[in-house]
Amino acid sequence: MKKQLPVWLGFALALVFLPSIFDSVLGISILNQMTIWIIFALSYNMLLGQGGMLSFGHAVYFGLGGFMSVHALNLIADEVFVFSITLIPLVGGAVGLVAAIFIGSFSTRKSGTVFAMISLGIGELIVASSLIFADFFGGEAGVTGDRTYGPPFFGIEFLQDAEVYYLGAFWLFVATLFMYLFTQTPAGRMANAVRDNPERAEFIGYSTRRVRFISFCAAGLFAGIAGGLFAINYEFITEENLNALTSGRVLLMAYIGGLGFFIGPIVGAVILTLMNSLLSNYSEMWMLYLGIMFLLTVIFLPRGFAGFIMMHQIAWQNRRLGTLILPYFVTAVPALVFLAAFVGLVELSHKGDDILPFFGLSLGAESMLSWGILLALAGIGALGVKLSRPRLAAAWALANTPTADDRGDVR
Amino acid sequence: MFEVFVFATLNGLVTGLLLFMLASGLTLIFSMMGVLNFAHASFYMLGAYFAYTLSAYLGFWGGLLFAPLIVGCIGAAVERYGLRRVHQSGHVAELVFTFGLAFLIEEAVQFFWGRDTKNYQSPELFDFALFTLFGQEFSAYRGFMIAIACLIFGALYFVLTRSRVGIIIQASISHPQTVANLGHNVPLIFMCVFGVGTALAGVAGVIAGPVLTTFPGMATVLGSIVFVVVVIGGLGSLPGALIASLLVGLLQSYAIAADVGMPELLHLLGLSFDSSHPLNDLWTLNLPQIAPVLPYLLLVLVLIFKPTGLMGNREQ
Amino acid sequence: MSLLTLDSVCKSFGSTRIINDVSLDIEAGEKHAIIGPNGAGKSTLFHLISGRYNVSSGAIGFKGEVIHNLPPYEIARRGLARSFQVTNIFPRMSVFENIRCALLWSEGYRYSFWQLLGRQRTLNEKALDVLEQIGLSDKAQLPSGELAYAQQRALELGIAVASGAELIMLDEPVAGMSNSEAENAVALIRRITEGKTLIMVEHDMNIVFDIADRISVLVYGEIIATDTPQNIRSNARVQEAYLGEVPSDAKGD
Repeated sequence: MKKQLPVWLGFALALVFLPSIFDSVLGISILNQMTIWIIFALSYNMLLGQGGMLSFGHAVYFGLGGFMSVHALNLIADEVFVFSITLIPLVGGAVGLVAAIFIGSFSTRKSGTVFAMISLGIGELIVASSLIFADFFGGEAGVTGDRTYGPPFFGIEFLQDAEVYYLGAFWLFVATLFMYLFTQTPAGRMANAVRDNPERAEFIGYSTRRVRFISFCAAGLFAGIAGGLFAINYEFITEENLNALTSGRVLLMAYIGGLGFFIGPIVGAVILTLMNSLLSNYSEMWMLYLGIMFLLTVIFLPRGFAGFIMMHQIAWQNRRLGTLILPYFVTAVPALVFLAAFVGLVELSHKGDDILPFFGLSLGAESMLSWGILLALAGIGALGVKLSRPRLAAAWALANTPTADDRGDVR
Repeated sequence: MFEVFVFATLNGLVTGLLLFMLASGLTLIFSMMGVLNFAHASFYMLGAYFAYTLSAYLGFWGGLLFAPLIVGCIGAAVERYGLRRVHQSGHVAELVFTFGLAFLIEEAVQFFWGRDTKNYQSPELFDFALFTLFGQEFSAYRGFMIAIACLIFGALYFVLTRSRVGIIIQASISHPQTVANLGHNVPLIFMCVFGVGTALAGVAGVIAGPVLTTFPGMATVLGSIVFVVVVIGGLGSLPGALIASLLVGLLQSYAIAADVGMPELLHLLGLSFDSSHPLNDLWTLNLPQIAPVLPYLLLVLVLIFKPTGLMGNREQ
Repeated sequence: MSLLTLDSVCKSFGSTRIINDVSLDIEAGEKHAIIGPNGAGKSTLFHLISGRYNVSSGAIGFKGEVIHNLPPYEIARRGLARSFQVTNIFPRMSVFENIRCALLWSEGYRYSFWQLLGRQRTLNEKALDVLEQIGLSDKAQLPSGELAYAQQRALELGIAVASGAELIMLDEPVAGMSNSEAENAVALIRRITEGKTLIMVEHDMNIVFDIADRISVLVYGEIIATDTPQNIRSNARVQEAYLGEVPSDAKGD
């Protein structure tokens, strides 16, 4: 813990100063979304990455926490219970925890496919019931609240998004810290052991079911906290926030970021939130791009982005990371050309009569020349990648062989 | 009352057999490769869309013939170039891959065909009532669906039990390593089984498209139910898949047809609640309302009390 | 009183009876070996005692308590530890973490989620101690899945003995090792089971006769003899089981 103090300090400082750097309305709004999704993705990784439980229904705890939080906002507004809205994430967390205790009591008996299927079934059950119990879930329209009614918190009434950001950042820091600390406890470590080899875990004295149950409850708690933040940030919540789409999205984040690393889901949540907020403004096709990116990640980077970065550890130890820069660059340029041309083709096919601005060119779907340019660029890019790949592979192999002078201490 | 029952049974049978067409492919793929293919219903959707496009040029029958072939080829390509690579990263990666594939196919369908519902019609040949019962018509097309489903089940049963290929497949289901050791090209078998499984889903899409409407959400609507079916039936068990398909189909159909619910139950118990009661939603619940939930409820109950499913013998 | 008592234990899978009416008493401090031809049910017997399988009939007692049909973790908590014939470790965790996890329950941490492992000095020292004993100190931070085979076997032993269990069961601890590796492993087994009760299954007779105080011979699911090594050597039924029956009219054909 002492060794990591600078990391945590850096994290806290980044959280404090980020809104000063990205101070536009959009910037703050994206940061707010990130706080929510990072907590949610980290909580998901407690299940899949650390506990080996593949869940297709984790949004249930996020959504239930969110719904209860919106209701809590309304109770504050109606002066039934009056407390500061800074504590709303705790309401969400408590609901997530209770739901997880109830559902986990039978779903954690097995891991693997059985667990995945139960999580899917429960998810669909809750979504379907949410449409039936319209009083609590508000039917398809959802429920709305207002975060500004509660007693001011040291004069802050949370009218501004920036104020909400600091509330979210506080909870993000606390939740991340506790989720990290959990991995360092006996229960957290045994979750890894049960993930790796449930059979052996039983023979060293641990009930795999109980170990999974504890992780499951903790994941539900933190998902609920994220749901509470969601309620404060958006002031409304609908059935969509507990359905399979949201569950899938958090799975995507954790996976793209890298399941095997604590920081992985953070990376994934940041990348996906950025893509979601920025790309969706520019293109209707962004979900298609997202799908393609996801599949490519699963195929080529099975350990996610964090895993990709960690792959360079050996080269770093060999002090040969520098030798990779040029080959990377040589491959990346044609790859980017191909990417740009591919995106251009996809966009052009859906432009109709509009003009597609493309790096200074004006392309039209009617013009054969436009198609030709893009196809040629794509071809050149693909060829460039194909030609430069052997060099990159060779450089990679070289960077990963220990240098002669330090072969002694690299064992 | 009786006529409601008869028609609910017939409709349940149609839904159940349709589910089975998907579930059979999914079961085959799972038993051989250990992969629960999340994108299975997406291939069903592709079947419907390809058939819609092809039927404009080749008519319904052309679509019925070629759309499943195209879908099967796509499926085989997915196995060869995607799944086989991901296989090295373990089961979770495979599940996640097919999950992502389902997502991508839905987006791709919207990209190529647009977001709107397609006007994909059943052929005029079947625009008559097969029979009329208690003044209600049962359309010939539904009869055709039942016939196709039975045909597929028969063919599948025949291939699996009577042919050499079927024997190898059956052996692969129970002893995959042994089959590989006997010198069979297991990767090729995998690719073919994946192709055939997805082509079966394609057939289901072709014939279900006109009845259940062809739109980008059709995979999501059916997808999780098919999953429920194979898990309830027991992963890897074809007879289990058939029983569970019919069970789920009939259960939903009866629940929709049965116009009873909490008010009747409360009346029976001599209770009554004011409509301002906070749990009013609960007291006015009726069976048609909860029909969509029933398969999932059944799934959770089966998994809790018999994690292997009704006919299954494997847990993973 | 015996430490471990098997009383008419039977186990059937379907209609096949794998273990038939096995009764055995293991005294505290004893080094006991179970030998027998392949498929005699030795591993099954281990699985029955350690709780992986439930018995079909009969009873197993450990320290005066009935333990059959308890889940494996309950049995492990009572002081019975075991290793596996096929290496069975936590491959993605470091060697050190493997050992530390094996220590957790016996050190009383249970399912604690409020104590940080890094701060548990006694626990960490004990784990390092076990690593020292099994000779893996310099590999402590390596993911255990990357160890060489013999090292993984040593880790397998380490996980079994880390908890300080009174009764240690080793299932073919030197299988698949070269001669020199096996020698090291035997020395290791002697060292770490000192003062403890040991039951082991082993095919290498030199090792068995070297280590064991008593030997049981299991053939077709039944124990045909339990005795000291010398007496087992000269036991006619054992020779018959191992060498095959030599019928008097064998030459008459």
